[in-house]
Amino acid sequence: MKSFYIRSKVQEDTAVLYPKGHLDAHNVDRFEKEMLKLIASKVVNIIINCKELNYISSAGMGIIMGYLDEIREKGGDIKLCCVDERVYEIFDLVGFTEIYDFLDSEETAVAKFKV
Amino acid sequence: MFPEHPELSIAIPSTTELLKMVVELSRHIATINQFSPLEAQKIALAIDEAITNVIKHSYKGKITEDIKLEFYSAPDGLKIKIVFTGVPPVLGQPGVDLDKFIKEKKKGGLGVELMRRIMDSVQYKTVGNINTCEMVKLKKLQKSTA
Repeated sequence: MKSFYIRSKVQEDTAVLYPKGHLDAHNVDRFEKEMLKLIASKVVNIIINCKELNYISSAGMGIIMGYLDEIREKGGDIKLCCVDERVYEIFDLVGFTEIYDFLDSEETAVAKFKV
Repeated sequence: MFPEHPELSIAIPSTTELLKMVVELSRHIATINQFSPLEAQKIALAIDEAITNVIKHSYKGKITEDIKLEFYSAPDGLKIKIVFTGVPPVLGQPGVDLDKFIKEKKKGGLGVELMRRIMDSVQYKTVGNINTCEMVKLKKLQKSTA
């Protein structure tokens, strides 16, 4: 049984990734593949909506970290929204909350890209 | 402080497929040892990171090796011992420069740092061909409301 799902949607120049479930070293390839698909399609404004993400290990965080520079070089960014308290704590432990924008809603994250 | 023998000992094959099961088991054990749900989640993550490192770096992804996981409970905390063979771990200095990692487009290197930030102690040792990762998490003292 799969414990991790990923889907995405692209609206205009912004893409939203929807990781769901338990993201660890076992299923991180699917997360990376989805991220690479967006980058290949030249979408560089990326929002990761974590509403249904209940666990992330360093494997998943590594993907968010590993492509940030390339995305910023292309004029885009990665923003995170709707992060559960327990997952936020993990991002905060390694300092992600100082590097990335964490927003309360997807709408706020989309709006941030339009500023 | 911790008993000589573990309360629970399991051996698992070296496959990432079982990481979720290990996380759920570890979270459960931490919870019954009176850690808060948030602390239990973090302890489970530290164990996930340690086992992922064993699979990736010591066993190089080979899925037929064994990893032994032992839990020792004490009133003051929880000790977890992970026993494995393969390539002995080589750890970097504590601390990560996230900006540098991002510039270098690194996708790894956060696991051991997470373990160190979550647990009160993380120690690796190798004797002969047996490697051990020992982690301890102490319970925080509750402030008296009296």
